[in-house]
Amino acid sequence: MLTMHNITKTFRTVTVQTNALRDFSLRIDEGDFVAITGPSGSGKTTFLNIAGLLETFDGGIYELDGQSVAQLKDAQLSKLRNEKIGFIFQNFNLIPDLSIFDNVDVPLRYRGFNAAERKRRIEDALQRVGLGGRKDHLPSQLSGGQQQRAGIARALAGEPRFLLADEPTGNLDSQMAAGVLDLLEEINQQGTTIIMVTHDPELAKRAKREVKMRDGLVQPAEKMQAA
Amino acid sequence: MIKLADYNLKLALKNIRRTPVLSALMVAAIGIGIGMCMSMVTVNYRFSLDPIPQKSDVLHFVQIDTWSADFPFNEGESLPNQVTYRDAKALMSAKKAHRQAMMSRAALAVEPPGRDERPFFVEVRATTADFFPMFDVPMLYGSGWTEAEDIAAEQVVVLSAETNERVFGGEDSVGRTLRMSGADYRVVGVMEEWNPSPRFYDPTGGAFSDSEDAYIPWELVVTKELPRSGNTNCWRPLEGDGLQAFLNSECIWIQLWVELRNADERAEYEDFLDAYATTQKDLGRMPRPLDTRATPVTPMLQEMGLIPEEAQVLLGLSVMFLVVCLLNTIGLLLAKFLGKATEIGTRRALGASRGVLFQQYLVEAGLIGFCGGILGLGLAWLGLEGIKAQFPSEQDAVERVMVLDWNMAFVAVALAIVASLVTAIYPTWRACSIQPAAYLKAN
Amino acid sequence: MDIGPIWRAALRNKTGIVLIVLQVAFTMAIVINAIAIAMQEADDMSRPSGVDEANMFHLQSAGFAADFDDRLTIEEDLRLIRSQPGVIAAIQTNSVPLGGSGWSMGLKTAPGAEIEATQTTIYFVDDRALETYGVELIAGENFAPSDVTWRESNSRGWGTQVIVSKALATTLFPDDSNYGVGKTIYINDTEPVTIRGVIDRLQGPWSGWDEGVEYTTLVPQHLLGNSTSYLVRAEPGRRDALMPQIETLLAEREDGRILRNLRTMEETRERSYEGSSSLVNILTTSIMILVAITTLGVSGLTSFNVTRRTKQIGTRRALGASRKAILRYFLAENLLFTGIGVVLGALIGIGLNIAMVNAFSIPRFDWYLIPAAMLTMLLIGQLAVLFPARRAAAIPPAIATRTI
Repeated sequence: MLTMHNITKTFRTVTVQTNALRDFSLRIDEGDFVAITGPSGSGKTTFLNIAGLLETFDGGIYELDGQSVAQLKDAQLSKLRNEKIGFIFQNFNLIPDLSIFDNVDVPLRYRGFNAAERKRRIEDALQRVGLGGRKDHLPSQLSGGQQQRAGIARALAGEPRFLLADEPTGNLDSQMAAGVLDLLEEINQQGTTIIMVTHDPELAKRAKREVKMRDGLVQPAEKMQAA
Repeated sequence: MIKLADYNLKLALKNIRRTPVLSALMVAAIGIGIGMCMSMVTVNYRFSLDPIPQKSDVLHFVQIDTWSADFPFNEGESLPNQVTYRDAKALMSAKKAHRQAMMSRAALAVEPPGRDERPFFVEVRATTADFFPMFDVPMLYGSGWTEAEDIAAEQVVVLSAETNERVFGGEDSVGRTLRMSGADYRVVGVMEEWNPSPRFYDPTGGAFSDSEDAYIPWELVVTKELPRSGNTNCWRPLEGDGLQAFLNSECIWIQLWVELRNADERAEYEDFLDAYATTQKDLGRMPRPLDTRATPVTPMLQEMGLIPEEAQVLLGLSVMFLVVCLLNTIGLLLAKFLGKATEIGTRRALGASRGVLFQQYLVEAGLIGFCGGILGLGLAWLGLEGIKAQFPSEQDAVERVMVLDWNMAFVAVALAIVASLVTAIYPTWRACSIQPAAYLKAN
Repeated sequence: MDIGPIWRAALRNKTGIVLIVLQVAFTMAIVINAIAIAMQEADDMSRPSGVDEANMFHLQSAGFAADFDDRLTIEEDLRLIRSQPGVIAAIQTNSVPLGGSGWSMGLKTAPGAEIEATQTTIYFVDDRALETYGVELIAGENFAPSDVTWRESNSRGWGTQVIVSKALATTLFPDDSNYGVGKTIYINDTEPVTIRGVIDRLQGPWSGWDEGVEYTTLVPQHLLGNSTSYLVRAEPGRRDALMPQIETLLAEREDGRILRNLRTMEETRERSYEGSSSLVNILTTSIMILVAITTLGVSGLTSFNVTRRTKQIGTRRALGASRKAILRYFLAENLLFTGIGVVLGALIGIGLNIAMVNAFSIPRFDWYLIPAAMLTMLLIGQLAVLFPARRAAAIPPAIATRTI
């Protein structure tokens, strides 16, 4: 379970657009598949960063699985991220110098699994996304859709409770996008909570529910619906 | 094209300014490498200069193996580096060479004419008349002495320009009298400044010291029993006391030079030397196998090993030093250029051909190399000054060796350009082989 | 740590790695050889001369006047010098330790031209020599005043007694527990002299003469001739005042001579080791500059890599890498490359040393230099990347979701 209560986040830099959150509250239950939508600058990414423990916030309460995260130190946050959260990025963010196998291996290394366990998990995850035969390829040798599948495999390998997806199909053509979306649905059905940020309303419809954001706030209608 | 070159230069300057720390680091690396290497190259080059290029192939240094049957001279690594009095006299009087001179060193006290002036010591070279024409000694006033004056052991003297300046205020002192160690000498000549470097004609002294202050007929060493200040080396005890016993001994203390103008003269002289040594062996001298040599200046200097080992070792290390500096620069340039992959991709997409980009980055790298070279030249000079400062007691010698002349400056700049091109080409090539599509899409 | 992936990632960027590895390797090779040479020179310089250097000075007297009386001058000069308050002892001699010029002879343990001789420095001194040098007599006895004779410059007689340095005595008589005291040695092939005493240590004039500099023989003779040296040992603290005072006294007593090269022993030592100390200075300066360049180069390269990999560092952070883990990554990466570099460097360094040992009179270096240099280089490598690695660790994980 993920709950945010009255979260505020302000960017003080003059030049940066203020993608702030204002008294932002949201609750996401186990097994949910939420699409966060809204126009550019509405605070989607800020929400995602805070939810994913990539960024700190200025005020409010954020509890991940009942644990308040505001006071946690870098090492604890990193551990939490590593264990509970899987990320899927718009640009895939695969490390170009590493093979697909080694890319999926990255979070497992930080988890401290032994070699056999890592190997089992990597192969499982790659099997699950349909890239079992591509583990020795470099990212540049794969198509965009395959790269995103590798990214999903990397997110899944640690068996996280939450999958945070940032415009997961933003860099894919529609056919590849559909495939990736099917995969996400399948993962959700197997019990992983998915939070997906997107500006594409069509995509949002595939989620179990949609949270619309504007100016750092959840739009009232949705808030009602959420409550 | 000119516009493009101008554009490239502007871009290069802009790029260098945009990464001032990195650019400074690269310039410093090239500069320090070149500076270090060039100061060592200079030292070695100055050590190995031909001191008398116009005559180095006709002047020959005479050596005879007169050493002990039981223990060879210098553990057999070289022939005795001087000759005995008996051999010098015999070879001189045979007059088999075009010119010939024997010499050794002495120290005398000059008593200046003015009463207030303190006497001072001068290094004296006792030699024979041919010394001056043979070594092309440039004369300011007068000339050397004659063979007749040699034979008569006349008290005549040729002064160095410096001594003439000190004693006679630099005026034409020919005909004047100079009192040295209690005897009067008539000045017959004053040399122009003459300091062959290395001081090849005497392999026993400091090879890079100044030439002597005064020159007198060799015979005075005997007639006036002058105090010798050069090197004396004996393998066998003297047979009696006094100067005559010393003159008759097997001690070596005289350098003998001959001028042989061509191969025929040289061959003839070598035969003569062998024949002479054979007659001496018949007399019971020279117990070692017959070995005589007349060696031209360059090989003679090589054999004497004038270049200190330390200088050679430092040269080797400094070349490796330069290699490290260049590797350093290549690494930084490569990182810098590859870091601009997106910009390169964009430029390629906007129509810059690979060749144009190659030029642009080569100009940038070349500019860095050029600055490095200039810095290196300065650092080489600084390095030489630093080395000079390490030898306070041998100032005249280091002043001669640690000099960055035009030749070396030219070599330094050339080395810098070559070095910068070598460092620039690979990173530039790598940068230009970036596929524009790959980088525009992936990021 | 993550050596496997670091290594596999490195293989995708071979040139960069090769450059770092070669740079470290060459630096290491140069540094170990330079240090070996500098250490050798420093060792030479640290050899004690055996004399009381801090309180000694010497000067040269060279007569030139036609009526110059060398014997009288020496006698009067010595009387004058020795009578000065503050002078502990003084001798007239032919040359001084580390002075650069002198007289050497071969000594033999049996007579005959065919016997191999041990070369030794000859110092002509009198019975006050040991006191003047401040050396310790470890066997036998000192010369008595009556042993000292006068020797004409072109004459031969060597007298009957000598005192030798311990190094010379043990070379001539390695098996004698009393350092050969009382034994006969032969000078000039056949002339016998007896070892009267042995002193602990006294260096000859030539510091560059390897072990020979320790082989010294004292002959109890006043060597006549126009040019001679006086060696003076002053009471502590009085040397500097005595130097000009004695020079003036001597100059006033006899003006048919030139006094020159008035120097302290310390100055003489410095002059003697000018080449060595300059070499040590040049080498240490070069080592420092070289290590600085390599450090900055490695640091700069890593810095660039950090910038280039900003996005993937952010991604790693997002995937659960803590700041420490990122720091460790760069340190480990550097450790790996520097490690290869130092191993290669050790090999090149050893090869270089072997080549130099063959070509020059350079000593083989001690084995411990290699591990010491390796460790130092590894440490320097770690320091070099510390700054860029910290910068990398500070990259915020939110970079990962930024789309540029």
